[in-house]
This record gives sequence, structure tokens and C-alpha cells, in this order.
Amino acid sequence: MKQHELNRRYFLQSLAAATAAAATGGIPGVSAQEGKALKLWAAVIHKVGAKDWSAMAAQADIEIAYTTKSARADEAIQKMVVGDGNRLFDALTDNGGGMEDALASQGAIVPLDTSRIPNWKNILPTYDEGGFAAHTIRHEGKVYATPMISNADSMAYDYKALGFHPDSWGVMFDSQFKGRVALQNDFGPTLTNMAIYLKGSGRIEIEDPSDMKPDEVKAVCQFLIDYKKKGQFRTFWDGFQNGVGILTSGEVLMSSCWEPVQLVAQKKTGDKADIRYGTMKEGHQSWNNVIMLSKGAQERGVEDLYYKLANVYLSPWFGARTLADLGFGPQMQGVDAYVESHPEAFSADDRARILDILERKQARYAVAGNAWQNVFPTHIRDYQDWWARLQAA
Amino acid sequence: MARGAVNARGAGRGGTTAGPPRPSWRQRVLGENGLQRWVFYLPAAFMILFLAVPAALTLVWSFFERTTFWMEPGFTLFAYENFFYSARAVNYLHSMLHSLAAVVVSFVIGFPIAVFVRRRVPQAAQHRVVLLFILPFMISELVRVFAMRPVLGRYGLINTFLMDLGIISEPISAILFTPLGVIIGDVLSFLPFMVFSGFLAMEAVQRYIFEVCDDLGAPAVRTFRDVIIPLAAPGIFAGSVFIFVNALGTALVPTILGGPGAVNAGLIANQAIVALDFPLAMAISAIMIVTLVTLLYIGHRLFDLTRILEPIS
Repeated sequence: MKQHELNRRYFLQSLAAATAAAATGGIPGVSAQEGKALKLWAAVIHKVGAKDWSAMAAQADIEIAYTTKSARADEAIQKMVVGDGNRLFDALTDNGGGMEDALASQGAIVPLDTSRIPNWKNILPTYDEGGFAAHTIRHEGKVYATPMISNADSMAYDYKALGFHPDSWGVMFDSQFKGRVALQNDFGPTLTNMAIYLKGSGRIEIEDPSDMKPDEVKAVCQFLIDYKKKGQFRTFWDGFQNGVGILTSGEVLMSSCWEPVQLVAQKKTGDKADIRYGTMKEGHQSWNNVIMLSKGAQERGVEDLYYKLANVYLSPWFGARTLADLGFGPQMQGVDAYVESHPEAFSADDRARILDILERKQARYAVAGNAWQNVFPTHIRDYQDWWARLQAA
Repeated sequence: MARGAVNARGAGRGGTTAGPPRPSWRQRVLGENGLQRWVFYLPAAFMILFLAVPAALTLVWSFFERTTFWMEPGFTLFAYENFFYSARAVNYLHSMLHSLAAVVVSFVIGFPIAVFVRRRVPQAAQHRVVLLFILPFMISELVRVFAMRPVLGRYGLINTFLMDLGIISEPISAILFTPLGVIIGDVLSFLPFMVFSGFLAMEAVQRYIFEVCDDLGAPAVRTFRDVIIPLAAPGIFAGSVFIFVNALGTALVPTILGGPGAVNAGLIANQAIVALDFPLAMAISAIMIVTLVTLLYIGHRLFDLTRILEPIS
């Protein structure tokens, strides 16, 4: 569900749909029958096609008993490792590049048999080429997760106000934009993106922006502290609506953010502003979200339900829609061909827009300085401690 | 023995035998020696179950060793070291200062309202007037705090109004995404606590006291400072504690109205949880508990908080 659709009309429609569903015995395709429905713990951004999970369930030809999940790593770890997550859920979604290692090492999820996912043949080659992308779905060489969406996070900016397209993170530190810049209030993506900038611009030597050493973390944070003290940043935003709000209200001219934030802000501002999403020459933090199979699901013998849904996540049907609705990168090849061959689902304008987003996304993916998100960097305590200093500055 | 029992039953039925009548089963179960005597222990049980036990566990867990994803029993002061020898302690102090400022502003605005309602509004209408302060709080706090953004923002109502009047030529950016924005948000969120507690506290100030002050020619400020405030002090303190605690712990206000990296004590603990540092989160919570208990102790020594519960004569 897109956030901008959270209005009164949507509320009334949802209420009416829920009432109708209750009267007729349930939401089509979504049921909680033990063993027959996949008990899925996922974020709302992991579905397409309908406001509930019915389109996803229909496409996979399964039933889905859905529970909303936040994007917080601690919640997933607590539930699946310490809590009763394996009893409650058959499958869960989360960040690749850390969570699959954490959960697999604790025995909370099980390895996958990718031969049971016919669309696995469509998966982006990067997942088989080694390197960090391949690592995000594997633990000790075995595949534990199916990738669903990805992106290379960048900066949204008001082109109308700026009059140019920034191509470097450095513009955020230009004194003429003092007090009109925002960063994401999350040490992971913010410190990684800033490390990418400082490394790419040659200001600080950083070996791996995804997994910085203590002195590198310190250098990045001290750089940010200096600019914070100069009043360069208006705020550090937290939460989707907050991220949209600071752009649409004109409080800031540029903000490091997720692409859906820019898409919604662009729609909301209309002619008042022109919120674009840039490609930064120094690089971006890349990330993906994956779906994993719980150990409990294996014990209950419902893996087949998981594999059917995983197959949908690797289909161009899903890839085209997540790209169109939320601007997330598809994890399979053939999306452009799928969009072109389905004019009944995608109008000419939609096709042009989708292909434009895809093209810009691929330009971001291609930047050499990109670094992958790392949910649990080796020196996470230094990240935390220095982030606290930045907050206190 | 059987006969004795028969006799006893006869007496119990209110026969002619001397002695007090035997209480009915309802009296035995619900009466003074039944459930009624245990009712007095309910608040204590509640306090133990929902305050003392969680607080004790928080303290114990704060000394545990951190593991990769959880914690394990042990005794280490590392979490406290990590708190006091890092910027978290500074953030915590900032948070306390902002909360204190919110208390002071709430008192300056809220308590005179409470006094006014008690003194000037006819008694029959007093509760309705106080109700007016409740109404905005029927709306979710998230909505109320978020709604402050279009008011306080760069192109918000206040700036637009001042610019339209020609008072300022550039928008004031100091009222949103700054500590001032957080204090404004806290005051608007928690002001009713001061109005309610002030209103209740004013019950301790009898109407004749105002008349005596008037008769003696005491100026209004002196009456307020030397008579009303000392009498209403326990209630004012109670309201202040409510505001202080909420401002210290509610993450919403600094998240939405605060500047870059604005935090309060609640957010500091939350960030430790997000980073899976549970002993640190427990240590921060324990420090918050100690702060508040100390505050209550000082308040009790100064104002004798039991006076809040005394019936008004």
C-alpha cells in the first residue's frame, strides 16, 4: 500500500472491505487455516497488486495468513531467536546482508532448495557471481533466502528550487544550503553513505564503507559533527511520512532517503516543487530485502507454500509492479520485456515511467563506489557510540 | 458430637440460644474478614507485580553480559560504563533539561488556568471548562504532534502570519527542528497534566483564604506566591512529575519536532534495543527509574506528597 493513499477515502474503502470480508467469511486468498495458509511475517512494502495480500496469494495459488512486520532487526532477532517466531511464522522477510547470517547461525531459518523455485533461473546474475550480493542470500555457502526487492539509496532534491541536478553527496555540505539539508536518522545507511562520499571524494581513506574500522567510523562522524555544529542540517528524519513531509513542506531542499519517499513526495507536491532522485558519482548504499523459510515451517511440512510465494517474488509480474508502485528494484531479469508485452496492465505512460525508473536505478547500481548495507558491522558498538556523539553535538 | 452439631445449627438459624447471630455466607465471603480485608492488599500487589518486579528485573538485567543477539547472566558494569563514558550521558542530561523547561512552561501556562477556573468560573461550570482541555487530547498524540509541523514550520502558520504582518522578512527556523520545537511539543502534549493537577490541588485552597487575602489587602502576586503555591504545592509537584516523566520518555516529540539527532531518554534506550544492546537498554531504563524515584523522594521531603490524598476539610 502506498502511503499517500492513506486518506479518508481509503480508510472508508478498507472499512467497507473488512466488513464485507467479515460477513462473507474472510478475505479471499487470505486465511489462517493451519497448514493450508502460509503464515507470513512481512513488511507492507513486500506486496503488490492489491491493498491486501490477495493478489499475491492468488498469483502464488496459496493462502496467506499475514502479520505485519516492522523493518527493525532487533524485532526479528528477538522473535525468531529468543521468542516464539518459529511457532508463529512459516516465512519472514528482512534485510539481506546480515539478517540471513544472524538467523541461520541461530538455527531459526533453514537452507533452501532452489530447484523448487522455477523462476530462480530468472534471478539477477549478480547473485551467482560472488561478492556481497551473493553473500546477502547465503550463509556458509548455502542459499538461505530469496531476494525480493533491492535499491541503491540516494538523495532526493527539489530540482525546481536548486535549478540543477546534483551528482555528488558533496552538495549536501555546500554552505549555500545551510539549514536546508536532512539526513536519515539511522546510523547504518547514513554512516555508510557518508563513508562512500568521503572515500569517493578522497577526503578520508576508508577501506570498506560497509564495515568500517573504529577510526574510520570516528572520522566520518567527526566530519558530520563539524557540519552539524555549523547548522548545515535541518533535521535527521525518521519514519516514512516524516521523510516525505520535510520534502513536501519545503523545509529542506535535499534529503538522503529511500526512493519511495521521493516518489510520494513528488506526487504530493504537484507543481509546487519537483522532487527528483539523484545518481551520486561517489556511490550509494545498496541493499536488498529477502524472504526466508523458518525452521518451524519445515517441521510443519509447509515448505511448498513458501516455494510458491518465493517463485512469485522472482517473477516479472512482481518485479514490474514493485518497480511501478514503490520504485524498488526487481530481482529478476526480463522486467522490461514483461512490461512491454503487457499493455493491458501498463499504459504507455506507465511503461515510460517504469522504464525511466529502471534506467536510473541501473545507472545507480553501476556506480563503482557503491557499498552494500551491512546490518551487523563488525564494530557496531563504535557505530552506536559515535552516532550518540553526533546526536549530542 | 452429632447432637452438639445439631444444636449449633439450631443456634445459627437464629433460635432462642444467646450470642451474636452467625453471619450469612455472603457476609462471610464479602465481609470484613472475607475478601474485603484482602482488597486493601490489591494496590500493593499491583505495585509489586507491575512496578517493583519489572524494576528489579531491569536492574538485574542491566548487569548481564551482552551476547551477539541477547544477553547472558553475569555481573558487569560495562553497560553503565558505556552510558556514563559516552555521549549518551550528555544526551540524557540534555533530555532532562528540555523536560524541565517543559515543566516550567507548563506551570507558567497551566497553573494560572487552574487557579482561574477555581476562582472565577462558577462551580457548576468548572468541570465543563476543565473538560474543554481534555477534548483535544481525544485525538491521537501522533496526529497532534505531527499537526504542529504546519504550524511551526518554515512556511507554517506562525511564519506566514508574521511575514504577512511585515514583522519578519525571513522565516524563523528556530521554532521547528530545534530544542525549542521539542519543548513546545512537550508543553502542548502534556499541558493538561498541569491543568488537572493544579485544578485538584486548588481544592486544598479554600475560598475564604482568598477573601482573607483580599481583606488584608495582599496584592495578587503575593497571594499567589505566598499563599496559593505553598498550599497547592503537592498537586503542582505531582503534575510536574507527570510532565517530566512523559517528556523524558516519549519518543514521539523529539522524533517529529526535534533537530538533527534529537533524542530523549526513551529514544536513547530504544536505540540501544535496536542495536541489540539489551544490557545497555536496561541500564538506561534503570537510570531513568533511579532518577524518578529520587525526584519523588525529594518531592515528598519538600512537600509531603501524602497531602494529595488527604480529604479536604
